[in-house]
Amino acid sequence: MNNYLIVASMIFCIGALGVIIRKNLIVVFMSLELMFNAANLGFVAVSDHLNLISGDIFVIFVMVVAAAEAAIALGIAIAFYREKGTVDIDMANELKN
Amino acid sequence: MEALFYVFSFIAIFSALMVVTMRNPLTSALYLVLCFFALAGFYVMLDMQFIAAMQILVYAGAIMVLIVLVIMLLNISRIKNMKSDLHQKIIGILISLILFIEIIFYIINGAQKRPSGIFTHALIKKIGNTQVIGEFLFTAYMLPFEIASILLFVAIIGAYLFAKKKF
Repeated sequence: MNNYLIVASMIFCIGALGVIIRKNLIVVFMSLELMFNAANLGFVAVSDHLNLISGDIFVIFVMVVAAAEAAIALGIAIAFYREKGTVDIDMANELKN
Repeated sequence: MEALFYVFSFIAIFSALMVVTMRNPLTSALYLVLCFFALAGFYVMLDMQFIAAMQILVYAGAIMVLIVLVIMLLNISRIKNMKSDLHQKIIGILISLILFIEIIFYIINGAQKRPSGIFTHALIKKIGNTQVIGEFLFTAYMLPFEIASILLFVAIIGAYLFAKKKF
């Protein structure tokens, strides 16, 4: 189980890195999906180790939430692009002052 | 089995790194699909074939098609000059490195629980993992299942409202 958890934590940290350093809104969403997937791998590995089934059920709900999140987020991306003409997240500064 | 684990983990981590570092968003989307397939391989190795199929159908199928469609719709490869500055990179790498060290510390030093459930590999193989998941999903986890349907409905309406011309 430890090996799976180490791989999952590596993928999670790479996803977090992408969320922090990238400026393209779409790539930030993709890094977010990476983090979701790392969490899923952790759930499946732990529930495999503990001989439980609830982690596998939870993975399905995480997938539902990820699908809903992707639809909403890409809707926001389209609205943002229509407003600004770019998907650079530094241009989202309406709340700045 | 051991060798397969290392192959899959190498593919997954390499393609995750490529997702973060590639300049063209379409390239990183394709690497993300590769990462999803490697993770599906992990699920097959953990005897959860249903989750692996869901991973490929929902993530690599539905969500990635949505993302690639939006990339093509917005014609992002034309947009340039989105380089992150050096401070942001240094701070990001530091944060994720520290997070990684903390998680590894926790994984290695944490107390491990003994297996407590009854669903061993042999039992799941005997019943069939799709049937086990289906039984639990429609009996013990009925309420979250219904709430998930409401969430998807709200997401449909929200996506429509956001992508509409005027609010």
